[in-house]
Amino acid sequence: MLKKANTMRLSLIAVVMVFAFETAQAQTNNGTAGNTPDVSKTVRSVAEALGMARRTNRAGAARLPFIDVINRMEIWGSGTSSDGSRTGLKTEYHVALSYNPPAVRLETTRTSQDGGAAPQHTIQTVRDSYAWNESQPGAGLEPGWGTATPAMAAAKQRLLQLWILPYGVVKAAIAAGDKTKLSTENGVAVITYPLSGPLTGVTVKATLDQKNFVTKVETQGDNPALVVEADYSDYADHGEALSGVQSPGHILQKQGGHPVLDIQIKNWDGANPYLVFPVPENVKKSAAQEPGKAATTKGL
Amino acid sequence: MGSLRNTLVTLCAMLCLLPAAVAFAQDATPTTPTTATMDRSINVRPKPTGVTPRTPDGHPDLTGLWNGAGGDLGSLPNQMHNDGIAIESQTSSHDVYSGARIATWPVTDRKPIDDTEGERAATLLRRVGSNKPIYRPKYWEMVKELDANANEEDPSNNCMPAGIPRGGPPTYIGQFPSYFIFIYPGEGGLIATQTMYRMIPADGRKHTPLADLDGTYTGEGIAHWEGDTLVVDTWGFNTSTWFDQLGGDFHSENMHVVERFHRDGNELTWTATVDDPDVLLQPWTTTPRIELLNPNPKAILQEVLPCSERELAHAVTKDHH
Repeated sequence: MLKKANTMRLSLIAVVMVFAFETAQAQTNNGTAGNTPDVSKTVRSVAEALGMARRTNRAGAARLPFIDVINRMEIWGSGTSSDGSRTGLKTEYHVALSYNPPAVRLETTRTSQDGGAAPQHTIQTVRDSYAWNESQPGAGLEPGWGTATPAMAAAKQRLLQLWILPYGVVKAAIAAGDKTKLSTENGVAVITYPLSGPLTGVTVKATLDQKNFVTKVETQGDNPALVVEADYSDYADHGEALSGVQSPGHILQKQGGHPVLDIQIKNWDGANPYLVFPVPENVKKSAAQEPGKAATTKGL
Repeated sequence: MGSLRNTLVTLCAMLCLLPAAVAFAQDATPTTPTTATMDRSINVRPKPTGVTPRTPDGHPDLTGLWNGAGGDLGSLPNQMHNDGIAIESQTSSHDVYSGARIATWPVTDRKPIDDTEGERAATLLRRVGSNKPIYRPKYWEMVKELDANANEEDPSNNCMPAGIPRGGPPTYIGQFPSYFIFIYPGEGGLIATQTMYRMIPADGRKHTPLADLDGTYTGEGIAHWEGDTLVVDTWGFNTSTWFDQLGGDFHSENMHVVERFHRDGNELTWTATVDDPDVLLQPWTTTPRIELLNPNPKAILQEVLPCSERELAHAVTKDHH
C-alpha cells in the first residue's frame, strides 16, 4: 500500500513538473523581449510571412534558431508623389536602406504630369541622426565627388521611413518589448507600439491581413511631420534574384489624408545588398555645431 | 488493476517528460561551451581550454590542425559567425560588429526545408552582418553588381584560388624558427576552390618593393611577432581575387593585408585588415574568426578531392549557390 502511494505520488510530481516545465518552455519560446505570448506569436507570424525569420537546413545548422535576416534593402519603383508644394508629380523612386545602422538614401526624380518643367532630382540621406542631401550617392565623401548639404532638421522624418515599412514594424514592435500591444479591429489583428530613440513620442499602429502581412501603418505624435499613413498591398517576392523575402508591390503614403507617395514597385532587393551610408565630414561638423541635433538612435 | 493503473500513469509521466528533456537538451546549451560540448544550435565563441604551448624561443606555438570547429565553408554556423552574427541561444543573437540585437525565434520543429529554401536563407544569413568595407563611392554600384552576379563574376569560380584574406585562417599551420607554412585545403561541392599554401618567412627580412613584384594570389607575406600575436604582412597581389568571402569585394594590385593570429589554449583568433586606398575610403578589418585546434592529436590533413566545378554551368538564375 505504501509502495503504491509512493508510486502515485512520484507520478503526480512528475506530471506536475512536466506541465510546469513545458509551460515555462512555452513562455520562453513565445516571449521575446518582454512581449506577452500572443503579441510575440503574432509578431513572429508577421516575420515569417515576410520571409524575415529564417533558418537553414545546412549540415550542422539544423538546430540554429530562426533569426531576422533583413538588414539592407534596395527598392525601385515609379508612380506619383508630392514635393511639398505640388502633388501628383510623376516620380521615379529609388530607396537604399539599412536597419543596422539605421540609414536611408531616398533618391527621387520628379516631373510634372505634362512634362513641362525640368525633372527635379533629389537624394535625401540619413544615418543615425545625421541627415544630409547628396548631389550624387556618396557625395561629400571625397574631393571631386559631389556635394553633401547638411539637413539635420529632416533626420527624424527620414528615419521614420524605416520604421513604417513592414520590416520596421517587426523590428520596432520587438524592440518596444511589453509596450507592444495586440488587439483586433474589424476582425483583423492590430499591433501598436511606441518608437524610441530620436522618434520617442511617435506611436505606431500596424494592421495585418489574414496572411499576417502588414497592410496599413499609421503613426501618431505631436509633430505633424511624423504623422503618416502607409498602405501596403500586392505582396510577393519582387527581387530580381528570388530570396523568399515578401515585399509590397504597391505603396501608398498619405499625410493629412492626402497622398504624398503612390508607387508601384519594379524591383525590391531584400537580400542584403552592398549598401553603405558613411557620414561626410562636413555633415558631422555641421551637427557638432548644432548641439542636440545629432542625437543617438540607440533604442531603435 | 491498481498496479496496472500506476504503471500507466508512470509511463504517461515518462512520455510527457521526453519532449521536455529533448527541449532542455536543445535550449539549455551553455553560452560558453567547451570544444567537447559545443552545440551547433549556437555559434558564439567557445571558451578556450588548455594551455598555450610555446616554442623554445618563447613564442606561442601555432603549429596544428585548426579545424576543430568544422571551420570549412560548408559549416553555416561558423560562416555566419565569420560574417558577424553571434547566436547565443534559441532566443538571443547579436551583430558582432555593432553589438545590435537581432530578433531570434526558437526552432519549433525539425521539419527539413528544401535545398532552394536553404540556399536562399543562407544567402540572406551570410549577408546580414553590418561589418562592410567602405569603398570609394564610384565603386558602390560595381561591388553590388559583382555580388548580384557572383555566379558569373566570382573570381574563385572554376576552382581558382580564393586568395588572401578571403581564404580565412589556414587549416594547418606549421611553425618553424624562421618561417611558417600555411595550408588552405580546397573545397569541392558547395563552393569549389583550389588548395592554397603559403611559405611565410619570419627572419626579419623586409618586403620586396611592390613595383618589383609580380602579383600573385597569395602575395608576398612576411611574418613577425608583436608580443604573443603573430602578424603577417602581405602585399604583391594580383587582382584575380575578392578579399571577403561574400559581397563582390574586389581590390587593386596595391592591396596591403595585415593578418593577426593569436592563440589562447585550443583557440586561434584571426583577423585581417585590408588597406587599399585605390578602391577603399578607409582600411577595413574582418570580423574576428575563431578556429579550434583539432582535438585529436593524431589528426592529419586529409587529401581533398581535386576541385571540379560542375554546378556553374547549370546556374540559370542569379540565385547564389
